[in-house]
Amino acid sequence: MKAPAQATRTAPRSYQWTMPSSWWLRKRHYFLYVLREFTALPMALWLLWLLFDIKSAGSAGFQPPRSIGFVVFSAVCFVFATYHSYTFLKLAGVIMHVKAFDRPVPPRLVVLTMFGLWALASVVIGAVLIGFAR
Amino acid sequence: MSTDAHLQHAHKPAFAHLFWWFMFANGGGLAALVLPVHILVQGILGPLGIVPVVDQHQDTWISVLGNPIVKLYLLVLIALSFFHFAHRLRYLLVDFGVAAAKSTPAQVIFYGGAVVVTLATIWILLTTAPI
Repeated sequence: MKAPAQATRTAPRSYQWTMPSSWWLRKRHYFLYVLREFTALPMALWLLWLLFDIKSAGSAGFQPPRSIGFVVFSAVCFVFATYHSYTFLKLAGVIMHVKAFDRPVPPRLVVLTMFGLWALASVVIGAVLIGFAR
Repeated sequence: MSTDAHLQHAHKPAFAHLFWWFMFANGGGLAALVLPVHILVQGILGPLGIVPVVDQHQDTWISVLGNPIVKLYLLVLIALSFFHFAHRLRYLLVDFGVAAAKSTPAQVIFYGGAVVVTLATIWILLTTAPI
């Protein structure tokens, strides 16, 4: 058994590097990256509200969402959701490698297609939500 | 372990990774394509009275929710999105230096939370406006 002083001398020394807590504020890119990741939280909260709205549809005391507080909450979530859509669909050209007639489809065309799909889906969903209302 | 056996082991398909990445990528894609218009119409335009929206009246909302295609759509939208959110929020904590977010309990909490939301969605969709 080694003496305590000797044990201290021979113990492996490791360098513990820690990221400064404000790393994401240092560069605009870092901030935008964290903002992109954070978009998940407001979108999750809004979907939880949608689930509550679905559940309350079956109850006798149904109250349609009309408060100004809810509109403000939705407006904030909308900004984050739109940012999520923009950043996620913009990456499609990098992530998706599509071939047509044995030739790779240019990434720009993939991104354009995804944004086109976003517009189309928005029109269709919007038309259903409004068109089936009385 | 022989080289052949080692190679065979190394090339074993990572089905768990495949599943989680499928849920993450498709959840993010679906949320990107359809969530903004839901929030805009159901969360802003409808409540402000700018346009009529299905969920502003109980009879129309129940009628639409009774459609099995709508139920399936809402289940896929909510469930996939939550698997995406779980992954993003866990890694956001990792990026902020929360080492515990890498642990197995954290994975159980985040992805388990997505499973709980999925099960709750199935229950709510089946019990509200039954088919």
